[in-house]
Amino acid sequence: MNEQPTPMLSLDDVGLRYPNGTQALDGVSFTLRDGEFVSVVGPSGCGKSTLLRLAAGLLAPTDGAVGRDGDRIGFVFQDPTLLPWRSVRRNVELVAELSGLGRVERITRAVEALRRVGLADVAGQRPGTLSVGMRMRVSLARALSVRPDLYLFDEPFGAVDEITRADLGEQLQTLFVADRFAALFVTHSVAEAVYLSGRVLVMSRRPGRILAEVTVPAPYPRSPEMRFAPESTELAARISAILAADRPEPDRSGEFRQTAEAVEADEADDAMEEAPPVPPVQQPGAEVTT
Amino acid sequence: MRGRRLARAGPPAVVFVIAMLVWYLGSYALVDPQTSFLLPPPHAVVRVAFGDPYNLSELLQALWLSARVAMIGLVIAVALGVGSAILMSQARWVERSLYPYAVALQTIPILALVPLFGYWFDYSTTSRVLVVVLIAIFPIIANTLFGLRSADPGAHELFTLHRAGRWTRLVKLQLPAALPALFTGLRISAGASVIGAIVGDFFFQRGQPGLGQLIFIYPKRLQSEMLFGAVILAAAFGLAVFWVFGALARRFTDWHESEQQRPTAPFPSTRAVT
Repeated sequence: MNEQPTPMLSLDDVGLRYPNGTQALDGVSFTLRDGEFVSVVGPSGCGKSTLLRLAAGLLAPTDGAVGRDGDRIGFVFQDPTLLPWRSVRRNVELVAELSGLGRVERITRAVEALRRVGLADVAGQRPGTLSVGMRMRVSLARALSVRPDLYLFDEPFGAVDEITRADLGEQLQTLFVADRFAALFVTHSVAEAVYLSGRVLVMSRRPGRILAEVTVPAPYPRSPEMRFAPESTELAARISAILAADRPEPDRSGEFRQTAEAVEADEADDAMEEAPPVPPVQQPGAEVTT
Repeated sequence: MRGRRLARAGPPAVVFVIAMLVWYLGSYALVDPQTSFLLPPPHAVVRVAFGDPYNLSELLQALWLSARVAMIGLVIAVALGVGSAILMSQARWVERSLYPYAVALQTIPILALVPLFGYWFDYSTTSRVLVVVLIAIFPIIANTLFGLRSADPGAHELFTLHRAGRWTRLVKLQLPAALPALFTGLRISAGASVIGAIVGDFFFQRGQPGLGQLIFIYPKRLQSEMLFGAVILAAAFGLAVFWVFGALARRFTDWHESEQQRPTAPFPSTRAVT
């Protein structure tokens, strides 16, 4: 690395406290450079979604600063969030439409984006007729069509089955290899993070902090077999160990209650609502999903 | 195709035949011939009410009057209802100021106001339409508001992310998302508007007679065939309105889950599922 590419996103000691006093993030700092694919893994409710919303500018930090280079953001949500009354192509056109692009340009971009995710032949259909995996690809095409400077992925493959998930991951990697965009990818799956990214940020329980940054040295393009290569599993094991070390002392008697709290906290995080008040001394024990 | 149509039309037809049989049975076996006006047989109703040109024109004129009142009232209710729901969806304070009164409209007995409208606006079309508007507006406000709020929060974030203005958000996201609920409200209100037109007319007792007045007058004159004829026309009109709005809803909200598979279809729809 002789020359450093432009930083596309930089967080400097960022904290976020919700109005009800819940500290979602605390002292988060990292830089995402052009051409970098960085994943964020962490337990449920650790503020991963909050982190993405800060990066997108949907939320303003209560501490620290978020810096972004470039205005065009491709946000891929947890759900496909397609408008059911629009055809697949018109859904992809939506963001270009919101940005005020002309009709011809919109259609050209939408068709191109759909072709890239392999959905050109369903352009005229409504999302309701597609499988969940296909809808997710439409959502991906919608993000592609803005030709973003920065991609933000909020657990985009969480709702699909394991096989589709692997397919989508490979498709995303193909797009990344071709375009070399900057991407921040939030996921529950440590293996997926290792397979896709050059760097993995490991986050702590709420309030979310960055526990470690793990570099994945393997060059792109990566073959599907790399998911099961010893180097990958070794890295995944290291990340899982970091996450496990962050787990509170196992308290068998309170296991059920803790899980319930973790689920609540997760839902609150997802919904971007005021989270249920968490007692400051006693942290919810979150289960680590690997 | 013919088999499917038969399968769909068959069962209601059977029920119709049974109902007719029960009606005849009632007319001839249960009701004393001296009091046959209590339940005239179906063919007598058809002959007197619909076969006689003078009687038929009396009924159709009344139907036209009531239908006009119902439709004008419904159009006004939709315009005002959707308009105020949009205003309420844009700012909480508007909702907090207006919604309690919308609920109040629903709870006050509108018919108690009928004499008052008579004083103010005479017994003309205006007061009849007013009754319809008051009866029909609440389902529209409530359903439209619910529908405007039903848009996917993720889609809202997407619009925010791409700096969509209030208007764009309303036109491209909230209104289309509200359509299924709006049509539900419309169907309820359309039925209510027919009832409002007829019941309002029933209570007015003055001015040009609509179906409501005829329904009030016929029993007093023991014209029970005419009474049945008026009731049948009123019911048919209500059904027609319901059907029209059902068809409109299917046309404009065919993307919605509720229209994906019709419960009446004997086979799953042939929509391509890939």
